[in-house]
Amino acid sequence: MKDFFKKIPEQAVRIIVLFAVLALVLLVVRQFILPLELKDPALQKNSAMEREAAKEVKYAGAQSCGQCHEKEPEMKKSGYHRDLSCESCHGAAQKHVDNPTDVKPTSPKKRDYCSYCHNYNSSRPTGFPQINPDTHNPRKPCITCHNPHNPKPPKTPRSCAACHAEIERTKATSYHALIECTVCHSTPEKHKTSPRTVTPTKPDKREFCGKCHAKGSGGKGMPTVDMATHGEKYVCWQCHYPHMLGGI
Amino acid sequence: METAQNFAELAKQVVGFIYPNEIEIHWSILIVVYPYITGLVAGAFILASLVKVFNVKELQPTYRLALLTALAFLLIAPLPLQLHLGQPWRSYEIFLTPNLASAMAMFGFVYLWYLMVVLLLEIWFEYRRDMIVWSSESTGLKKWVLKVLSLFSTDISEKAVAFDKKTVKIITIIGIPSAFLLHGYVGFIFGSIKANPWWSSVMMPVVFLFSAIVSGIAIVMFLYMIIIPIQGGKIDMKCLDKVASFLFYAVIVDFSIEVLDFIHRLYESEESIKILSQLVSTKLFMSLVVLQILLGMLLPLGIMVVIRVFRLQEELRKLLYFVCVVLIQMGIFSTRWNVVIGGQLFSKSFRGLTTYKMELTGIEGLLVSLALLIIPFVVLAILIKLLPPWKKEELAGG
Repeated sequence: MKDFFKKIPEQAVRIIVLFAVLALVLLVVRQFILPLELKDPALQKNSAMEREAAKEVKYAGAQSCGQCHEKEPEMKKSGYHRDLSCESCHGAAQKHVDNPTDVKPTSPKKRDYCSYCHNYNSSRPTGFPQINPDTHNPRKPCITCHNPHNPKPPKTPRSCAACHAEIERTKATSYHALIECTVCHSTPEKHKTSPRTVTPTKPDKREFCGKCHAKGSGGKGMPTVDMATHGEKYVCWQCHYPHMLGGI
Repeated sequence: METAQNFAELAKQVVGFIYPNEIEIHWSILIVVYPYITGLVAGAFILASLVKVFNVKELQPTYRLALLTALAFLLIAPLPLQLHLGQPWRSYEIFLTPNLASAMAMFGFVYLWYLMVVLLLEIWFEYRRDMIVWSSESTGLKKWVLKVLSLFSTDISEKAVAFDKKTVKIITIIGIPSAFLLHGYVGFIFGSIKANPWWSSVMMPVVFLFSAIVSGIAIVMFLYMIIIPIQGGKIDMKCLDKVASFLFYAVIVDFSIEVLDFIHRLYESEESIKILSQLVSTKLFMSLVVLQILLGMLLPLGIMVVIRVFRLQEELRKLLYFVCVVLIQMGIFSTRWNVVIGGQLFSKSFRGLTTYKMELTGIEGLLVSLALLIIPFVVLAILIKLLPPWKKEELAGG
């Protein structure tokens, strides 16, 4: 055995000793210096829970809101925003719960907050209420017409949208969003009971669109054309689809 | 407030639909720098192994340089990760309390194995005799530094030197699979992320490995062409041509594998193909099609073909080789960018793309990344000063 050790070259011994020392240090640190909770997952979880529990609580939860504010949660309960927590819009409110008089939660009043969810985006689910902020009452804060605790479209023209939902949704994002269906289509009452036999009208004269789009008659920013030279004998909607975004 | 501004700026760049937590990407340019640097390590080592294991004599002048380059970059390789994760003083804990089930946590051991058992050991045995000789010739601090580095070894008999040589060869043989492991591992991390179709591919470790070999050979060639003239030596053209021919083959293999991966994805046409082609043709067009493929691969390949076919003059060859290696470095950096950043630019809904806005001064910013790319060269300069790769007569003889 002694011969075997003698046969190992001097440099190899040095390297082996170095590695052995490093391995030993690693072992000693792990066995004797590391605290137990670094090695045992159960203990580690325990101390992590203690650490997390000691952190400051920021959100109070909707139940706490309901303890003082009776009206809003009651209204919200049956509305479209029933699944939204109060603090989704009003921000973290634990401080307000602790000190209701001095600390007040925020309430978003500008258009851009609602638009996080309600801006038009083709990927949102069908039927989800969406608007084009450029055409939908520009600059008016949403809360002037919609109550965020019980949001509803101010007028619900269910009579047309009940069947023509796709047109309704397309129109909602177009420049014609604020024009009601019946402005362009005069609809006999019977259309509701026999929709195939009694049909609503379509504008059959160029002058109808010309009321807004003829040169000289449009408001600011409204596209206008010279009715005498533009489009010849065709009716406007043969080329322009009025329900489409941008009304191309 | 700044976060909100950032968010608003990013939101304008978003195309289509993305989930809310996808707007800001989390693996930034630091994570691009990390595989780039480890790739250089693995590639430089493979070049060194060509001399010892495959006995390619012409490459001898680059052998020690390749080893030192690998070491300089390996020492810096964990730094981008530590800066990205934060709290670098805790990093030693992955050795003390290892999580054996996590591939990411195993990096510590892959790294340790490669640094301690392969690279440092090989360099130690390679330089041991020289360190003893140099320490006996020098005085003061340098003498003692060399003495400590040689672990106070004194035996420079023929028998001992023969043992060193034999050991170096054995370590190199172990080193080749280790180098494959080191960089294959980085590819494995990305390739095993099932939820990300841009990454999830068994080809990933192989693609990473070959691009690593390409970048490693190119960086050693680059350094060789710069350091030799600085030290007043003459570039050995036989060596340079040989390195270039290996680089040429490596680029061809790397290119073929990447094309294979690309065709395979196209033919497979999984549900993600639409968003991925949109990604490639819009957000990654510049970095993937132009920088990585055209400038980083096809142009250097074309130049190298021209050099081989027309047997150009020495000076012109040098110039073109230099252009090639710079282009290749840029191309491989883009490869890393396209993998790391590209994989985070599309939504898991496959319906939209987000964008990456790089910081300038923050810890994940451009300046820190540039510093991380420069530090290895400083480390290399110190290593070369301490452990010169060439003897004076070698420099003069070319």
